[in-house]
Amino acid sequence: MKLGSKNIQKLLTSLVLIAGFTAFQTVANGDVGEHVNHLSDNIKKYEEEVNWLTSKVDGIVTTYQKSGAKAAHPEALMEHWEAVDFHAAIETNYVLIYASIWQGLYAVKGSIDEKSSIADVKAEEAKLNKALWQALGAVKMAAKYQDAGLLAQVKTTEEAPKNSIEALVVIDEKIHSVVAKYAEQLIDTATTMVHDTYLNLFEGVEGELIAIDANLVEDLEKDFNVTLPLAIKNNKSVDEVRDIVTAMSTKLSKAKMLLENKEKNKKDVF
Amino acid sequence: MQRRTFIKTLSYLGVVSALPFLSAQSFAAPSKAISVDDLPELTGELTLYLGRGEGGLYEDVLNAIKKRNPNFTLRIRRGPTAALANTIMAEAKAGVRQADLFWAVDSGAIGQIVGAGLAQKLPNDLTEQLQSEFRFNDWAPISGRIRTLPYNPTRVTADKVPDDIMALPDSDLSIAWAPAYASFQSFITAMRILEGDDATTKWLKAMNKKAKKYAGELGVVMAVERGEVDVGLANHYYTLRLKSGKPDANLDLAFTKNDAGCLVNASGILALKQSKTATDFMRYLLSKEVQTYLSGEAYEIPLAGQLPPPSGIPSLTEISPPAIDLTKLADLRPTLVLMRNAGVL
Repeated sequence: MKLGSKNIQKLLTSLVLIAGFTAFQTVANGDVGEHVNHLSDNIKKYEEEVNWLTSKVDGIVTTYQKSGAKAAHPEALMEHWEAVDFHAAIETNYVLIYASIWQGLYAVKGSIDEKSSIADVKAEEAKLNKALWQALGAVKMAAKYQDAGLLAQVKTTEEAPKNSIEALVVIDEKIHSVVAKYAEQLIDTATTMVHDTYLNLFEGVEGELIAIDANLVEDLEKDFNVTLPLAIKNNKSVDEVRDIVTAMSTKLSKAKMLLENKEKNKKDVF
Repeated sequence: MQRRTFIKTLSYLGVVSALPFLSAQSFAAPSKAISVDDLPELTGELTLYLGRGEGGLYEDVLNAIKKRNPNFTLRIRRGPTAALANTIMAEAKAGVRQADLFWAVDSGAIGQIVGAGLAQKLPNDLTEQLQSEFRFNDWAPISGRIRTLPYNPTRVTADKVPDDIMALPDSDLSIAWAPAYASFQSFITAMRILEGDDATTKWLKAMNKKAKKYAGELGVVMAVERGEVDVGLANHYYTLRLKSGKPDANLDLAFTKNDAGCLVNASGILALKQSKTATDFMRYLLSKEVQTYLSGEAYEIPLAGQLPPPSGIPSLTEISPPAIDLTKLADLRPTLVLMRNAGVL
């Protein structure tokens, strides 16, 4: 697709606004696949996969309606989701919706397991479908960014951030991945990610940040060490965990702005 | 009353400098710090393995050096210091040396490489720029950090903070510590070397009964400031940074005397290949400008020349750090075993 300069400008603006679009370096669920670096070439396939998934979900819900929970095999929802390439495409490009998909899958499964009314199950199915189609839209937009050279290649190895500002960007990505892993019900993975993000990334930033805004560091310290891990430990809902992460993300944005301002006023070495 | 060795930071510094019990140690005067204006231009290429630390300040220094030397190419591999040290060891075992230089945030990792005989000897005129306690044949400390006892003056008076680290568990003070933290483990290694394994184990067990655990040392200092505890164990710069962001913070610094509690540790650099460019590159890091920058921006202690410490910390002649070979701090494994056996980790 050829993009005019106006469109590129729009995309650049969107890129700034939609902070969720980031090239993730690794994902937790096995091989990413080179297809994520060629999104445009694979959009048709992703669209077919989303259609296939929604039909599979609908099949499970219909079976539930006709023959009950046991016959529906709702655990197959996760297997179907993990089988498609689209899975990696959304995880590497927009982890916020990726988390919503997992949340939707478990909501449909949970409502069937609990033998909820068909109306309730269909309501959860509708939310899941909405997340899947939103995800396809997000991947299509990411494909445009990629074609315009605005997305970094998805890498299989992580590079260490060069400074605190870069580290804050990675921290923001990591905590949103925590929501995704929590939505996948990978509780230990989510907890470890919080701990590792604090120790390996935030701990390196806060020394610099505290010299500018001690109260902000204190807030984030509490978020990393108490609020977020406690919410995970206490099995709070995905929405509650997401709310905590969203609040942390806002604080991280403020931290980034403070460090960027400091950077502008930093004296030269020589 | 316990004999005290405390330095109240910031406003009291001028007074403290005059106190007679703060006798100067053997920090013989180094040669005057050299300006980058007097250094040769760097040419050619170098590969630097850079240990993570100090946010982007090391990067700022490297960028400034590159900008000043347009005919010089610097390739950088970044990562955690310990991981890079292991990479260097593995590469040496495989018969390859990818890196020309290794800049590590702690001397323990340096000691690992030096101990394996991989570091090149440095010229005397370079090492003589450093304070005498920090002169080594095959590596150059860049900047220092002091182990301290940050305390909350609204909860405890300075004279109640012991000047003997081994006496800390016997005090009535509530304490914060971060035993999983790398700097803390280097401090315990120093204690093992100075006091022996038995005394260190006893100290750890006693501390474990009363100290409150935190993930990192900034967390320790913040807990002291909030009044959760009376005193903590942490590197000096966390207190200075917190006081910079919160000038009215309830925080002061105390120092022990002639023991691991007042250890002065250092970041450092070594050359893995013999090269004039590599040696000259090190001279840039020891220059007056870089030393002053790291002191001003990261609150690290300058170790080259006769440069003042960051505001709020006494000079090295005013405290009583233990005499210890920093490269011995590389021996971390027995420290971790000992800490695990003591139930601390």
